[in-house]
Amino acid sequence: MSSIEHGQETGGFDAGEVIIHHVSNSSIEHPIIHLPTIFGIDFSVTKHVLMLWIVAIFVFSVTTWAVRKYTKQDRPIPTGFMNALEAVVLFIRNSIVLPNVGSKFVNSWTPLILTFFFFILTANAIGMVPIFDVLGMINRFILQVPQSDSHNFINNLLHGGTTSTGNYNVTSALAIITFTAIVIAGTKAHGFFTHWKNLVPKGLAWPVYIILIPIEIIGMFVKPFALTMRLAANMTGGHIAILAILSFVFIFSGLFHSTLAGIGVGVLVSVPLAVGISALEIIVIMVQAYVFTMLSAVFIGMAINVHH
Amino acid sequence: MKIQSDFTAKSFQYLQKMIRESGPAASASYTLIGAIILLGGIGYVFDKWLESSPWFLLGGLLLGLIVGFYELAKTVWGMSEKGRKGERENG
Repeated sequence: MSSIEHGQETGGFDAGEVIIHHVSNSSIEHPIIHLPTIFGIDFSVTKHVLMLWIVAIFVFSVTTWAVRKYTKQDRPIPTGFMNALEAVVLFIRNSIVLPNVGSKFVNSWTPLILTFFFFILTANAIGMVPIFDVLGMINRFILQVPQSDSHNFINNLLHGGTTSTGNYNVTSALAIITFTAIVIAGTKAHGFFTHWKNLVPKGLAWPVYIILIPIEIIGMFVKPFALTMRLAANMTGGHIAILAILSFVFIFSGLFHSTLAGIGVGVLVSVPLAVGISALEIIVIMVQAYVFTMLSAVFIGMAINVHH
Repeated sequence: MKIQSDFTAKSFQYLQKMIRESGPAASASYTLIGAIILLGGIGYVFDKWLESSPWFLLGGLLLGLIVGFYELAKTVWGMSEKGRKGERENG
């Protein structure tokens, strides 16, 4: 029996459906912005695509604004936000990219790694901010728009989760960029044919290559797969944990047929636990952005500095 | 006050060092798990498709273990080679 059927049969609150609704992408059947179908692909904008756009515009605008402001000032000393930005940029360049990629290629690969870091960090962080929920409340209680109005733009915005990095399609696209970067880095450092030859150690007996070549080829695809799964699973997992704990309020009020029981569980258990997990999530947001960045640098470095 | 700032600076330097050195280890651990999940998953899909349960799943898991441990071994070899090089340089 599906969770939806179960919820309908019991006539109560269905935690599973609510959680899925809050972490998954909105349906392509009810897109936020309608766009035409080209070559059989529907380009309509869903919630996660909208979030990607918002994140990209935000990161681009903020960094461009900070750097332009810095280059226009008389004293070449960064202050305020630019100071923090410079510290992060230098940390990533000197502690992540340089030790892995080496001094020859550090300036070639730092921009990509920095883009990964700021994009993933912002996409992770924006998922913790309840922007659309606040908009929904304003829409519902101040503007008095009924929740059933499916033509209302803000009502459409409420469907689906806001963490685009919790979507496997997004993380696999990021991992494909890393995979392409690995191939380009190896080709740039050693030439096209030598890069592929470098996959396996030299000077082994030929029967060993029969086993080793397939293992190395599989290993090549496993690396971006690990990147994809780790980021998406971590970002989804945290949100599921928070929502599951908050669901206790409705589950217990339904179980005991008492609103007071729900409020009691909420005050004593759900809200303190959800606050604690949200605090942990803030750490997870930074750690996941950092781990993706570091692993991308390690994989690119492995293609450049071949050790067998 | 100076002792406090020295301590903070040293702590940050040590953290930076740890982060720098943790890269290959993190990559090996994620690749080990990733290989088992990916190849086990592919095996599971093949089993569903060909109704041959559990053979492709078992084969996939085994291959995942081999690939994962090979990647882990490569990281360990690389790290020990780096360590030997460092020892030689330091005399």
